Amino acid sequence: MKKYAIAISLGMFILFISSAFDTKDDEIKFVIPKGWPKPVYDFSKNKLTSEGFRLGRKLFYDPILSRDGSTSCANCHTQWSAFTHVDHGLSHGINGLKGKRNSLTLFNLAWNKAFMWDGGVNHLEVQPLAPIANEVEMGNSLENIVKALDTAHGYRARFYLAFGDSAITGQHVLKAIAQFLVMFQSYNSKYDKYTRNEPGGEMTEQELNGLKLFRQHCNSCHAEPLFTNYSFQNTGLSVDTFLNDYGRMKVTGDPKDSLKFRVPSLRNVAMSYPYMHDGRFRSIIQVLDHYTNSVIQSPTLAKEFKTPMVLSVQDKKDIFEFLKTLSDKDFLYDMRLRDWRE
Amino acid sequence: MNRFIVVMWLLVLSTPLCAYSQDNAAEWVLSPKDTDKVEIDMRAVFKNRILRTGDKYYVSPHGDTFYVDVFRFYITNISFIGERTATLANDHLFDVADTNTYSFIVKNVPPGVYHSIRFTAGVDSIANVSGANSGDLDPIKGMYWAWNSGYIMAKLEGRSNVCKTVHNAFEFHIGGYMPPHNAARTVTLKIPEYFQVGRQSMPGISMTADVAAWFANNLDLAKTNSIMIPGKEACMMADNYSRMFFIDEVSYTPLNR
Ligand code: HEC
Ligand code: HEC
Repeated sequence: MKKYAIAISLGMFILFISSAFDTKDDEIKFVIPKGWPKPVYDFSKNKLTSEGFRLGRKLFYDPILSRDGSTSCANCHTQWSAFTHVDHGLSHGINGLKGKRNSLTLFNLAWNKAFMWDGGVNHLEVQPLAPIANEVEMGNSLENIVKALDTAHGYRARFYLAFGDSAITGQHVLKAIAQFLVMFQSYNSKYDKYTRNEPGGEMTEQELNGLKLFRQHCNSCHAEPLFTNYSFQNTGLSVDTFLNDYGRMKVTGDPKDSLKFRVPSLRNVAMSYPYMHDGRFRSIIQVLDHYTNSVIQSPTLAKEFKTPMVLSVQDKKDIFEFLKTLSDKDFLYDMRLRDWRE
Repeated sequence: MNRFIVVMWLLVLSTPLCAYSQDNAAEWVLSPKDTDKVEIDMRAVFKNRILRTGDKYYVSPHGDTFYVDVFRFYITNISFIGERTATLANDHLFDVADTNTYSFIVKNVPPGVYHSIRFTAGVDSIANVSGANSGDLDPIKGMYWAWNSGYIMAKLEGRSNVCKTVHNAFEFHIGGYMPPHNAARTVTLKIPEYFQVGRQSMPGISMTADVAAWFANNLDLAKTNSIMIPGKEACMMADNYSRMFFIDEVSYTPLNR
């Protein structure tokens, strides 16, 4: 009897282990949803593999990437908030130091033409260099990370499996993280099901009215289906005199880009408060109140805001209800993206 | 009969001519003992003195006394120009602090005679926008800007009492690939001696990078001591240092096989 119990628990254990480590073939299938544009990311230069994806996942959740071993990417990018730093206006990093910007949500990154609020980063693969090198985020260098990974348990074999080379290079660290990041895909919200005429896509009258208003007032920037056109716009926010952040101008050096920030995608926006590049608004209604009441005129202000936007209280509620249909549970609870501590 | 001999001679004489008029590639076939490699040696100097970091001081044309702490630069897209032009994907980072970077080998050079060498001082825009690269272009080398993506194409850091900065430091991090402020520069140098690739000895080119070029046009360290972002100043400096390269000599190393 006892033997049985042992055998059964052993069997269960093996089942458990193998399910945790099981390589499902669909695990790393990148999807281009119907009707979406072609992705910008060049997959031919970084072929997605299950091993590369898993290695990227391990790196994303591993605080070994920070100087003092305290902070992983996931500290500022948690899955259930669509991978942003929820409830933090300005993200915190090592030693609890505060950064200068609100963290961004992470999904559908293969379509990004540029990264960060000011577009200063030009390619997904080099994006991690920014938090890694930032004194208040991870305070580290890629060189140190490669050294640490070289002696850390279990990494050399994983690099071998992913890239056919157990000598760890900066390039392979970055390519692995990119393989994980591109798989943050969000295209199964209620709104998506509605546009595809699928079950689960039944919208209420209020949501439909919100969609109508959205297409009227917001779509020029937060363009469907990605809910951003990736342009840089000045939405008339006042300048925080402590942060003095002039956005895009810092990257281009062009005064015409003063106070412009990248249009963020509004997918999963209900999950990712606070809002705007410095996290100054705690709710979507506050963002809408800004658009109708407190836009500051300046030479670089977006044309959409030159004349004040008119939205009734009810309109705002309807838009808010519509924006909630952009939350995508398949993505927010995608088991492949969680921390497996492998 | 005479005519016949003349025609015969003409035929005989024209044979080599024909061979030449065909693609030269057919002429220069490597035998297994030949090499298609070229060694390039690089040394850093200030005028006629070997450059040393740390404790040696130098005097700029403007009259500023300074020390050098960091001197690194990229050479990429090397091509050899002669009967034909051979462009080779080759990226090299020279670092005065690392003697391993003082020489490198360019492979797969088509055999032939060349009169000039051309390269990019810096990193071209394609490499700047293609994500994580490998080898000397791996961002691990510390020649990459994280918050405004792109390569630092060349770095010169040091100290001078005329710099009213922390530790009297001056820092030139030169880069930028977006027009109009692209800091990559094409350099063409004439090879001063007969230079042939594809024999049993490996040809070598010894080059010098003269830091004095950075201080051309009477650069005043009191005024210009920090260039850390792409822009006009970076381009001015790139113009300056694009003129720092010289070829000293050509040599041939017999290969013992
Ligand atoms: C201390 C908090 C923090 C850490 C740690 C952190 N990030 Fe971020 N991340 C941010 C902030 C803040 C932004 C937006 C910064 C900006 O625009 O200036 C951001 C932006 C991004 C973006 C750009 C998204 C877009 O749409 O442009 C990506 C991708 C990203 N982070 C991935 C990572 C990865 C991978 C790591 C781990 C190597 C990481 N982050 C670590 C705070 C952090
Ligand atoms: C002219 C372009 C433009 C238009 C039109 C526009 N937005 Fe925005 N929106 C932006 C930009 C740019 C930001 C980021 C501003 C910043 O942080 O400085 C933004 C931010 C937001 C945010 C915060 C998102 C986040 O993750 O922080 C929400 C919510 C939002 N907009 C909703 C709307 C709605 C709803 C409409 C229509 C009523 C609308 N926007 C119209 C450009 C626009």
